[in-house]
Amino acid sequence: MKKNQIKFAFLLPAVVWVLAFTIFPLIYSVRLSFFSYRLGRGETFVGGRNFVQAFTYPRFWGSLQTTFSIVLVAVGIEILLGLLFAWHFNREVQGDKVFRTLITLPLFATPVAVGYLGITLFYETSGPINMILSLFNIHVPWLSHPFWAKVSVILLDVWIWTPFCFLVFLAGFHTISEEIYEAAYMDTNSELQIFRHITLPLLLPVMGIVIALRLVEAFKVFDVPYSLLLGGPGTSTEVYPLLVYRTALKNFDFGSASALSLILLAIVMCIVIIFFRQLRKVYE
Amino acid sequence: MRKVTIGIAVLLIVGLAATMAWGYTFTPQQKELFLKAGMTPERQAYVKTKPYKGITITVAVNTAGREGPIAGPLYMFGELWGEQTGGKVKVVEIPYAECFEKFWIDCLTGTGKYDSVMAGAFWVGQLVEDNYIIPIDKFMKDPRFPQWDTATCSPALKTLRTWGEEWYAVPNDCDGQILYYRKDILNNPDYKKGFWEKYGYEMPVPPSTWDELKDIAEYFNGWDWDNDGKVDYGISMHLKVGGQGMFHFESMSAPYLISPVNSNLWWFDPETMKPLITSPGHVEALKTLVALRDCGPRAALSWSLGEAWDCFLRGDAVFCFTWGDLGSLAQDETKSVVRGKLGCSALPGTFKSYDPASGKWITFKRPNVVGNTTGGSWAGVISAFSKHPEATYDFLSFMATKEANFWNACTGWTGVDPGRTFVFIEPYGPAKVESYVASDWNAEDANEYTIGFYKNFYSSLMYPYMRIPGTVEYDTALDVHLSEAVTGTCSPEEALQRTYDEWERTTERLGRDEQIKLYQKAIGYTK
Repeated sequence: MKKNQIKFAFLLPAVVWVLAFTIFPLIYSVRLSFFSYRLGRGETFVGGRNFVQAFTYPRFWGSLQTTFSIVLVAVGIEILLGLLFAWHFNREVQGDKVFRTLITLPLFATPVAVGYLGITLFYETSGPINMILSLFNIHVPWLSHPFWAKVSVILLDVWIWTPFCFLVFLAGFHTISEEIYEAAYMDTNSELQIFRHITLPLLLPVMGIVIALRLVEAFKVFDVPYSLLLGGPGTSTEVYPLLVYRTALKNFDFGSASALSLILLAIVMCIVIIFFRQLRKVYE
Repeated sequence: MRKVTIGIAVLLIVGLAATMAWGYTFTPQQKELFLKAGMTPERQAYVKTKPYKGITITVAVNTAGREGPIAGPLYMFGELWGEQTGGKVKVVEIPYAECFEKFWIDCLTGTGKYDSVMAGAFWVGQLVEDNYIIPIDKFMKDPRFPQWDTATCSPALKTLRTWGEEWYAVPNDCDGQILYYRKDILNNPDYKKGFWEKYGYEMPVPPSTWDELKDIAEYFNGWDWDNDGKVDYGISMHLKVGGQGMFHFESMSAPYLISPVNSNLWWFDPETMKPLITSPGHVEALKTLVALRDCGPRAALSWSLGEAWDCFLRGDAVFCFTWGDLGSLAQDETKSVVRGKLGCSALPGTFKSYDPASGKWITFKRPNVVGNTTGGSWAGVISAFSKHPEATYDFLSFMATKEANFWNACTGWTGVDPGRTFVFIEPYGPAKVESYVASDWNAEDANEYTIGFYKNFYSSLMYPYMRIPGTVEYDTALDVHLSEAVTGTCSPEEALQRTYDEWERTTERLGRDEQIKLYQKAIGYTK
């Protein structure tokens, strides 16, 4: 085998992988979205009916709204907390290694398990959180009130994903040269000014990546709302992926589920493209 | 240090062994009883040959554990059946939300991984129509298999086990919902007096209508009526999405529509498949449910079955309407303070009922009470792709014998609820109260419990059970929108309208004409 042919042989597994597990499912999903397909009962071409039905389905809009509200609030808090912790632990602090380890622990927990743990934590009558709050005469209907149910999901999501933001930000902090800070300290002693004018701009590319990754991941949020509340009360925590799951694997309506998935794909792509354009503008 | 390590290791091993050994086991007498149950001379000869030696049958069931409802007895009886026949039972536990899908896909692909599944009765229509399960009539006639009598199933329960003229499910669990109440509290003269002063009529025990029940629940809600230092409640319900709350609405709403004039119109118009869920009867029922929400703990909105039962068993609620499990769980004094204080009755009725055919309310002089078989009535069906259908039937019928089923029905944790004729105490059936006492029941509770169920299962009017393709989908939509109504996200009318819209979508997607045909068949509708 010639030398330049060998490189193709090495590339082959990756190409096969991408074709089999990314390109083929995507094409199949696009095709399926134009069919009424019921498992075991064949398929019928229905044109764009699945898309029209999706847009006229009240739970479609409801789940989009729910997803956006949970994603935006959760990702916002995760970024802020991650940045704050990273900034704090970037300095020499006593016991920082222990704290760093503790902070990153939730990242290794399975979200489904965290959701089930949440049932215990947020249990309204005798859960530990309400027990503590009751000392201050506060009782929060964490799981029975549509608003607080969303808050519970957001809190668990923040708990799981803040460590990820923290780790990436911490790595970002380490890439900023000490010399820049030394030069800055000659002009000002204000930590806040240094953070605003030195750290933040230099951290912006990292922040962009973190936000983009978290947004893409957060739009797929499923495990916590499913295991904690099964999308309830009512449809208050029925996020978009949960709707897709129910459509596909509860109702066996794979055509509609494919259409719903493609709509989500389009939405997430639009958001990420717009976000990166804005980020590039700011960076330039 | 070495000693500490050895000590910890020993403790771990002992702990592990204790954990593995822990669990319910049959006494030698029980073993003997069950092994002889359903025996015929042919079977005696058959089992001597150990006919299933080397055969393993796989039974899928909702996840519950070795001592959990429905699944637990499979392990125990599986071992015993293995001793008798040489076969082996492999129990595969699948989460409730996925059990149907896994079995259905296994059949769709023709894999035959599962020989049987403990199926909810509401799955049966779909499984039969898809030819994924087989009729069991020929096995039932075969004297080599354990014998159980079809006459021990009430007509309503028989309907759940059959499709058309053929039997598909081997009897096991018999679901139906009744009202449980605290007899001691409701009969307290001081409370009766207080109720009379507040509501202007004598407290009926048990309440015969939902309105009466609502008044009583309201009266007892929010104060410490059992002097245990804690605030108590009127009613314990569970209304979490996915927590089977819709089953309870279905049972409670039945008398708002079903009456001597209308025996089966609750779900759909059988000629058009148009949902009836927005009818004034349904709206009235949902308004009652919303009112009942305020007669119990707010946390009930996030409760599943277990929490609601626990609330009643702890003695914190006067009422709970639910399945048979609660009665037998109440006998376990380690978890229940209501043993010996249990009152049971068929679910209350209404003084008026809406007739969808005429579009008019019908009023009654006496409460219109409707029985129900609401729930899964989990029972074994045999996969059409099973490689060992005979062995599978053999095992399922081993559990369906009078002796085995009676034991299951008397034992709280099994999740197998009573319903077959032999569980009813004289004069309603052949059972003796002593048999219940021997199973550690309080005699009075046993009487109340079995009478309550007898009246439910043998009611002249029954709630029409839904078991056509899409039932789970229809139920799920109802579940979600009921939750919206009870959490105040929308009005009862809006919630039911949303349910209507979703049911229409489902019917359209599944094929209206096909659904009409199956629905008519399922409810026995003829023009």
